[in-house]
Amino acid sequence: MCTNLFRSIRQPERKMAAFGRFSQVLLRSSLTQTRRQLSAAAGHGEQSGKTWKILTFVVALPGVGVCMLNTFLKEQHHSHEQPEFVPYTHLRIRSKRFPWGDGNKSLFHNPHVNPLPDGYEGHE
Amino acid sequence: MAHQVHAYHMVDPSPWPLTGAVGALLLTSGLAIWMHFHNMTLLALGLILLLLTMYQWWRDIVREGTFQGHHTPPVQKGLRYGMILFITSEVFFFLGFFWAFYHSSLAPTPELGGCWPPTGITPLDPFEVPLLNTAVLLASGVTVTWAHHSIMEGHRKEAIQSLTLTILLGFYFTFLQAMEYYEAPFTIADGVYGSTFFVATGFHGLHVIIGSTFLAICLLRQVLYHFTSEHHFGFEAAAWYWHFVDVVWLFLYISIYWWGS
Repeated sequence: MCTNLFRSIRQPERKMAAFGRFSQVLLRSSLTQTRRQLSAAAGHGEQSGKTWKILTFVVALPGVGVCMLNTFLKEQHHSHEQPEFVPYTHLRIRSKRFPWGDGNKSLFHNPHVNPLPDGYEGHE
Repeated sequence: MAHQVHAYHMVDPSPWPLTGAVGALLLTSGLAIWMHFHNMTLLALGLILLLLTMYQWWRDIVREGTFQGHHTPPVQKGLRYGMILFITSEVFFFLGFFWAFYHSSLAPTPELGGCWPPTGITPLDPFEVPLLNTAVLLASGVTVTWAHHSIMEGHRKEAIQSLTLTILLGFYFTFLQAMEYYEAPFTIADGVYGSTFFVATGFHGLHVIIGSTFLAICLLRQVLYHFTSEHHFGFEAAAWYWHFVDVVWLFLYISIYWWGS
């Protein structure tokens, strides 16, 4: 019975000790990282700057260019028709008027694609 | 000349914490007054006070660190901790909005049509402008890393080039996102879809603007020879913030734009 009691006390202590060791490792690794960061200038030499420059002009910026082309091409394929208006009650909510203008239009209101609660503007 | 027998910075008395607090109070109460009584006076006052505070407080920090030599290694370490803790708090800020999004989208209510996106909502195609935005931010992460190495290696001109490129990419993102906001067939008032979309992406956009501003200040300081190859914590803090902004976007893109469409 004595041994059982002793075991139940030791378990949480062991967990606490493990946590202490874990947090020590965490602090040490962040300190090492900081040291490594601060000594980066001394260690690296000319290499790293050049690497990231190459990555910029060979990978990053061409990647942006490809995505720009893709967006442009996809946009051309769009139909520019006005989406049909259905007066759903769960959309175009107006429990409080907007604090600008007539209080009925959102901040980025676009009359072509954003219908008001009773339909697109200009419709009777 | 006063001497201190320790490496820490005992900061001189400053009015900026007080003006900042008053500014924040005016901003928040001003926002409430504007929403309910359509008067912008308090809001404008709060905004001006806050902007003045930020400008003067951070100007003083630059003076203390760059020109008066108060930012010794232990002081710098404290500043690092501070920035890390701040960014951590921002992570939790965004976590709340992701929680809101997943709460509403994982079990869509009958009022929405029992589906996500809700009935009547046409989501944006994740493989058009949102994908371009992802490429833009990822590219800016590469360019800001190039800038960091340039500073560390003492390449002044390349540091200026890469930092400028980073800021331009940031502006491009903001421009694209503003266009998306205008062209979107849904608004913030379109139920919980609109709310979660615009609040989460809206706050992200605000952080992109803040991050771009931070980087722009760093560009100005780099041009003015403030940074050395060994000591440039202001830039590092801006770069960390920028990477955080990039990571938040990746989560937004995958959760709201892609999975949520």
